[in-house]
Amino acid sequence: MIGRKRFGIRGKIFIGYLVIILCLVVSIIAVNNQVSSMQKERNYIINHDIEVHGLTNEIEKQVLDMENGQRGFILTDDESFLEPYNQAADDWKNNYNKLYDLISDNPSQQKRLQDIRDDINQWIQYTAEPSIQMKREGQDSDVLSFFRKDTARTKGVEDIRNQFDTFRTTEKGYTKERADKLDHQNDVLKTSLFVLLFLVVLISSAIAVFVSGSIVKTVKAVVRSIAAMSSNGDVSQRIHVKSRDEIRDLAEATNNLLSVVESREWLQSSTNEVVERYQGTSTIKVLGDKFITGIAHFTEASTGAIYIREGEGNKASYIKKGVYAAPMNSAGRESFKQGEGLIGQCAAEQRVMVVEDLPDDYQMIGTGLGEVHPRSLLMAPVMFENEVIAVLELASLGTFTQEHVELVENTTKTFGQTIDSVIRRMEVVRLLKESQAMTEELQAQSEELQTQSEELQMQSEELRMINEQLEQRSIEAEGKSAELQQAKVELEEKAKQLALSSRYKSEFLANMSHELRTPLNSILILSEMLAENSAKGLSSEDEEFARVIHSSGQDLLNLINDILDLSKVEAGKLEMHFSEVNMSELPSQLERNFGHMADKKGLTFEVKKDIDVPDIFYTDEKRFQQIIKNLLSNAFKFTEKGRVSLHIAKDKALHPEVGADHWLKVSVKDTGIGIPKDKHDLIFEAFQQGDGATVRKYGGTGLGLSICLEFVKLLGGQLDLESEEGEGSTFTLYIPSLPNGLMKSEPLLPFNETESEVAATIMDDSAIEEVKESEDDIVRGQELISVKENDSSFKGKKVLIVDDDHRNIFALKTALENEQMNVITAENGTACLEMLEHENDVDIILMDIMMPVMDGYETMRIIRAEKSMADIPIIALTAKAMKSDREKCLEAGASDYISKPLKIEQLFSVMRVWILNK
Amino acid sequence: MNNQVMLSEEELDIGMVEHIEVDLLLEAIYRLSGFDFRKYMKSSIIRRIQNRMRLERIGTITAMQEKIIHEKGFLEKILNDFSINVTEMFRDPSFFRSFRQKVVPELKKLENIRIWHAGCATGEEVYSMAILLKEEGLADKTTIYATDMNENVLQKAKQGTFSLVKMQTYTKNYMQAGGTEAFSEYYTADDHFAYFHPSLLKNISFAQHNLVTDSSFNEFHVIICRNVLIYFTGELQNQVQDLFYESLCTGGFLGLGDKESLRFSEKTTHYLEFDCTEKIYQKR
Repeated sequence: MIGRKRFGIRGKIFIGYLVIILCLVVSIIAVNNQVSSMQKERNYIINHDIEVHGLTNEIEKQVLDMENGQRGFILTDDESFLEPYNQAADDWKNNYNKLYDLISDNPSQQKRLQDIRDDINQWIQYTAEPSIQMKREGQDSDVLSFFRKDTARTKGVEDIRNQFDTFRTTEKGYTKERADKLDHQNDVLKTSLFVLLFLVVLISSAIAVFVSGSIVKTVKAVVRSIAAMSSNGDVSQRIHVKSRDEIRDLAEATNNLLSVVESREWLQSSTNEVVERYQGTSTIKVLGDKFITGIAHFTEASTGAIYIREGEGNKASYIKKGVYAAPMNSAGRESFKQGEGLIGQCAAEQRVMVVEDLPDDYQMIGTGLGEVHPRSLLMAPVMFENEVIAVLELASLGTFTQEHVELVENTTKTFGQTIDSVIRRMEVVRLLKESQAMTEELQAQSEELQTQSEELQMQSEELRMINEQLEQRSIEAEGKSAELQQAKVELEEKAKQLALSSRYKSEFLANMSHELRTPLNSILILSEMLAENSAKGLSSEDEEFARVIHSSGQDLLNLINDILDLSKVEAGKLEMHFSEVNMSELPSQLERNFGHMADKKGLTFEVKKDIDVPDIFYTDEKRFQQIIKNLLSNAFKFTEKGRVSLHIAKDKALHPEVGADHWLKVSVKDTGIGIPKDKHDLIFEAFQQGDGATVRKYGGTGLGLSICLEFVKLLGGQLDLESEEGEGSTFTLYIPSLPNGLMKSEPLLPFNETESEVAATIMDDSAIEEVKESEDDIVRGQELISVKENDSSFKGKKVLIVDDDHRNIFALKTALENEQMNVITAENGTACLEMLEHENDVDIILMDIMMPVMDGYETMRIIRAEKSMADIPIIALTAKAMKSDREKCLEAGASDYISKPLKIEQLFSVMRVWILNK
Repeated sequence: MNNQVMLSEEELDIGMVEHIEVDLLLEAIYRLSGFDFRKYMKSSIIRRIQNRMRLERIGTITAMQEKIIHEKGFLEKILNDFSINVTEMFRDPSFFRSFRQKVVPELKKLENIRIWHAGCATGEEVYSMAILLKEEGLADKTTIYATDMNENVLQKAKQGTFSLVKMQTYTKNYMQAGGTEAFSEYYTADDHFAYFHPSLLKNISFAQHNLVTDSSFNEFHVIICRNVLIYFTGELQNQVQDLFYESLCTGGFLGLGDKESLRFSEKTTHYLEFDCTEKIYQKR
């Protein structure tokens, strides 16, 4: 606006109108003047001329009135005729004076009027007055002669009238002259009006043409520019306007608009091109590369990388998936987590960050010839559903403009969606492949099923025929079956009664023996007191009787005890109490007990114990000794001469599955009467001896061996017999050392807890010994556990270890935590159930079986009864993969089992199998 | 009953012309490849053909025959279609339990044991048998001959690698089949597959053998051929049963699938029903 003054459209129009209005005002004033002068002229004609004519006529009339009055009087002599005469003679001079004044502007007319006055005065003076005088004086004849003589004079009134006519005619001529002049003026006015109108029109048109021209020209120029732009779509052109008016404003505003549109268009087209570049890609890596290349190209960045999120929640990390002009030393990060570094912060804050003026030591951008430093950085999050799904970073040698930032913001908006859809597509492709494979498998399976069902149908037809034949036979059989049924029912009833009576018998015997012992006890004590004869009140004979009573009572007690033991065994009431037995004392003890018997019968008695027999042995001491005593008593009883020897040795495991510490072999050998081969089985039956004769000869109840056998079974051992008739017998007892006793329900399959528990520590076999020794060694043992590479199927899974042995838990926990599993532990079944109540996302349970408070079986049963946990995989850790253990495990609901000592690779394999679907 | 209705409707779908087409197609396949499906159950074959036609969008069986004859690779495709490989480890656990409880004691009396697993598919049951024998202490004196007509599945079988997804089922089967160890003793697993120990392969030899066209190749103590014969017509079943009979030594065992039976075969009288529920027969 500097320089020429601004001359706007409003000013132009205003001035145009002003000129036109001025012209109009001037012309109206001129016309008005003209019209008012014409008005004056006309008024003059109307007033002056009419008055002149009126006065003229008035005077003429007064003259005529005077003549008429004069003549009337003369004729009639009536004075009343003289009245108008006198009147007129008085008035006419007034009128004359008026008229004279009126025509003062016209001297010729005044002269003529003076002539008329003179004539009137003459007529009055010389005609009228004398005639009237004569009449009055009665001089009628004179009057007549007067008139006769004065005929010429009577012509006086005629002359006056003629003079008046002339005066009037002249006056009319003046009036006409004036009217003509007025007409002429009128014509002039008309003409000048037209001329004025024409001039105003001319000026107005000229102004209109100028003003509109100056407006329209510039507008047209603008329109031409806009049309040109819109026709070729080129928004880079600009409108140029020379005028300093609103159009220029319009043009400038339009130019601004164009600039904005141009930058928008650039943004839009760049966005589109970037989007087009990555369209149709199906893998994240390619997508990332294409995207970053595109965006770097448009933002003139020199290097860039895109990081795409993997994982969810806290574990999400951003992995580099695409680079543009990767740094030569590839110092860029491969991944980062949210909040890690500036780029992590960008992801956390979910906003674009631009860093300018990077320090000189910032990472170089490599070119073929060397390296340059970037000047600025741009980091932008890629959003999808309000989450940062990826982050991109660009580095530029220049600076990033607002447009660049907008471009990045624009493209990232849609890119999030694309990343998500590509990820989903990849997932879909993977699932599709899987489902295709499954479909094929299903097809094959259904094929087989169909085929089978067809085959079945064919078979069923044949079966139907066979059935018909069978039906016939079955009708026949039915009759027999009814009979059999009857018999079976009867038999069952009998069997029941038998079982019942047998149980009654055992129970009766057990009760009876007990009842018998109580009184016998007092007999024994009292008889012993008697035999001691401390009061010296008895004779030696009485003393002997008392001793007999005592020894008989003792025999009876032994017998009752035997019966009691046997019946208890049979009734299943006998319990074994496993405890430490000191083997070093056993030989001397036996020698003490049986030495005198050997001496009495003259037999040699030998007790031999091998050096390698451990001192400590775990069994039920009482029953163990009872067995050995029974065997020895038996040997002594049936041996008349020769020797009885007992040999204790360590033996190899007879039944390895019982898991004993070690086994002992105790042989009792005699040189007695021996047992015939065909009686070998028989002698272990209750109340049996070799034959009837033997009974008579040796006495005894025959209960000893059968009790021994039952005890041996209860202790988990075995009793063998080797004998020839007349050659002596050898009873060999094999017995395990069981620190924890036998499993109640599985008397023949004992379970050695201590050993197996320790052995369960999961390590290589060589490591087991170390673990046994100390806790420190466990730490050392862990180093033996092979640390595998990241195992994705275990990562983050929750495993619950249930075991009462802390060393086991410690070792297992360490191994599983190495696999990045989430390990929780419970010490027993109850603790496990409590834990499961608030840990409902456990993926797998490792369950020890032998635990205090609540064992593994019970725990598994309760877990399985719980609906929500019916599917949770449970791996049972059994001491030894014993058949019965396994079956119990499965019955209790274990998914799989694995035997101790655990092999780590095997444990992992099993866990992989069962963790799969979780 | 439903099945019956469905089947009869399906039978109606196939007209006289189609039957001729199928016959011609099978003839062509036999002449081209040597694989003889002419005596296979028509219903099954037709379903496989229809399935392939649907997949390839072929209108008629004759059009497919043209492809089989002239298009490279198509014959292999249809051969794969015809070979149905459904199997799992310790499939029908009760069979394996019975085998363990009843047949193994008999086998223990032998010096050397030869077992023929005919139609072994991808080998799951062969491995199951190897495990069973190992647990019973018979592994070292046994040779298992595992055969199938499909070379592809034999290759798979030789790898002893099975999808981890199925291992839970296999474990249950193993336990139900009376396994005496932990099943995990026999494999190691990664995230996708279970790899059975190569030691199990020691006494197994895999070979291609076609029950329809090939003859006997040894004398066996046990022949296992489960759910193979159901695809054969009665005539072909009898022919294969002859082959088995010929290949079994006296007192040898024949194990069939749980829906199969010797009862209607010509050879019924030559066998004892050793365990009739588990379809184990003993040659008289």
